Amino acid sequence: MSRPQSVSNPIQGRAATTLRRGPGEGMQPARSPAPGYRPPLAERVALALRQSLILAGLASIVLPIVWMAITAFKLPRDVYSLDAALVFTPTLDNFRTVFAHPWNLGNKIANSILVAAGTVVVAVPMATLAAYAFSRFDFRFRQTIFLLVIASQFIPAAVVVLPYFLMFRDLGLLDTRTALVLINLSIVLPYAVWMIKGFIDAVPIEIEESAMIDGAGRFRVLAGIVVPAALPGIITAAVFSFTLTWNEFLFALILGKQDALTLPLGIVGFRTERGDLWELMAAGGLIITAPMFMLSLMVHRQFIGSLTAGSVR
Amino acid sequence: MTTVSLTSVDKYFGSVQVVRELSLEIADREFLVLLGPSGCGKTTTMRMIAGLEAPSAGTIAFDGVRVNEVPPQRRDVSMVFQNYGLYPHMSVAENIGYPLKLRGVPAAERDQRIRQAAARVQLEPFLARMPRELSGGQRQRVALARSIVRTPRVFLMDEPLSNLDAKLRVLARAQIKHLTQELQVTTVYVTHDQIEAMTLATRVAVMNDGVIRQIGTPEDIYNDPADTFVAGFIGSPAMNLLPVVADGQGTCRAGDLPLRVSPPRAGTTVLGIRSEDLELCSESEAMFGCEVYTFELLGDSTLLTAMIGDRLVAARAGKSVRLQAGARVWLRCSPDRLYWFDGETGLRLR
Repeated sequence: MSRPQSVSNPIQGRAATTLRRGPGEGMQPARSPAPGYRPPLAERVALALRQSLILAGLASIVLPIVWMAITAFKLPRDVYSLDAALVFTPTLDNFRTVFAHPWNLGNKIANSILVAAGTVVVAVPMATLAAYAFSRFDFRFRQTIFLLVIASQFIPAAVVVLPYFLMFRDLGLLDTRTALVLINLSIVLPYAVWMIKGFIDAVPIEIEESAMIDGAGRFRVLAGIVVPAALPGIITAAVFSFTLTWNEFLFALILGKQDALTLPLGIVGFRTERGDLWELMAAGGLIITAPMFMLSLMVHRQFIGSLTAGSVR
Repeated sequence: MTTVSLTSVDKYFGSVQVVRELSLEIADREFLVLLGPSGCGKTTTMRMIAGLEAPSAGTIAFDGVRVNEVPPQRRDVSMVFQNYGLYPHMSVAENIGYPLKLRGVPAAERDQRIRQAAARVQLEPFLARMPRELSGGQRQRVALARSIVRTPRVFLMDEPLSNLDAKLRVLARAQIKHLTQELQVTTVYVTHDQIEAMTLATRVAVMNDGVIRQIGTPEDIYNDPADTFVAGFIGSPAMNLLPVVADGQGTCRAGDLPLRVSPPRAGTTVLGIRSEDLELCSESEAMFGCEVYTFELLGDSTLLTAMIGDRLVAARAGKSVRLQAGARVWLRCSPDRLYWFDGETGLRLR
């Protein structure tokens, strides 16, 4: 690093912007810019405009979450106060309150975890088997059946909510976690099949044939070769299924009463006759969001990059 | 100790017939090469032997026992795939040991046999690596080691060298030859490369359009081709093939060019001459004269090419010969080195 820091930084900054221009244009300034070179005005305006658009988009996503995270630690009197918008005395009272009577968020967390985990545990193996069949076997109406599976998701939930309610009432499953697992399976399975099929499609057929010739039967090939090779996809599908179930609201609202209430319903409970208890909602919201956030971070870090690299050629 | 026989095997993909009435006997411990251009049905034939494709008709038998219905995992064959087909989530050692693991070989013995197989193909230093951390040549050797870690009834190799660069290919070819001679297992090897076929095979089956055009030792195939397809496929450069018209009164022409040869019969025939059998000579002893189209130095020899009609004719010359494009030359060939084929069917006239 013979070049002084103060000189090299602006050069790098400019080189980065010129790289994005059309071919030919950016040749000389990127290499050795004249001292004090500035890009033309129109270009600077365009850049500023683009950056502010990106910032606005980012803010619309991040700000509500930030607001929620801050509010969760506020006392009720600070929630509406502008003076205490950013500067306030943090408290854990809200978290204590939501777990206490009458809110009992603890039960709802347990329900949510059981329902989501139950759904994933059933959905992922089922979806993997179905995806494998759709990917590798040649059977009549394969394409049609696959499209039907996907198309089942185009039916608005509101349309089937009542039939489901009647059905589960007749089965005596209203307000049970079993009912929620079954409902969530119907939502999650098509997505999971579709996602996992994409990953199985990408597993080279040669490694399956190799395994067969090495002495593995069909099921052994699936369990020992295909699943490990498609594991990133299967895990992605599992996380996705878990999140979908975790956040599911409509069916939980219709089918639940008091025993099988899930977290999203717990949040709604904070709208009371006394008004909306924002600080409790925020605390509950944080409790819902945090595990999903951590889960996706973890998965992201661990499974980026294809595991199949190097198997063929 | 396994013979493989195919009897009247047909294979259709939809309405397309890729293998036609193919019958083939592969002797015990033979190294049979299926040679042909892409799409000729050679890989499909091998995949039927492996059990990865079911024949549409006909019988495949090992040691005289029909295996049509036996799934690949119970045929006890091993196969090296063109793309190697390594298991991406297993280390080299696990890849090599997988066939043993499936057979329930105890870990200690498995370990020892993995080491032996790896040693045979110089892979010992890489046993802990993952396939993605290996070069193409090393991956190819892992696939090879995996196929020799047990003693299968038949080795199958599907263009195992085609993804290697030229230099590595020569080395790997020698390695395969050495290994199969040592292991003494019946081997079927698919390739489109006639040099691989010539160097490795005890017998070569030349295929085209789903049919075996000729089967024989490399020497037979080279010196005694059964038809124009085989003649034109084998050899580098391939045999010169000239359509010749004889009027029955001693004049014989290839296009406009008069040739001093006597075809076995009048009418249209095809004359085949290998480039190394053509030699430069004086006008009086020449079979024909022509102009040099290109002249190439090959190091150990030179190659001159002439345009006759719309065909290029190649002739090998001594390494000290120097010619310019456009130069007039005369060429001759000993009459017993001429091959004659039927003008219609392409079959050899004997």
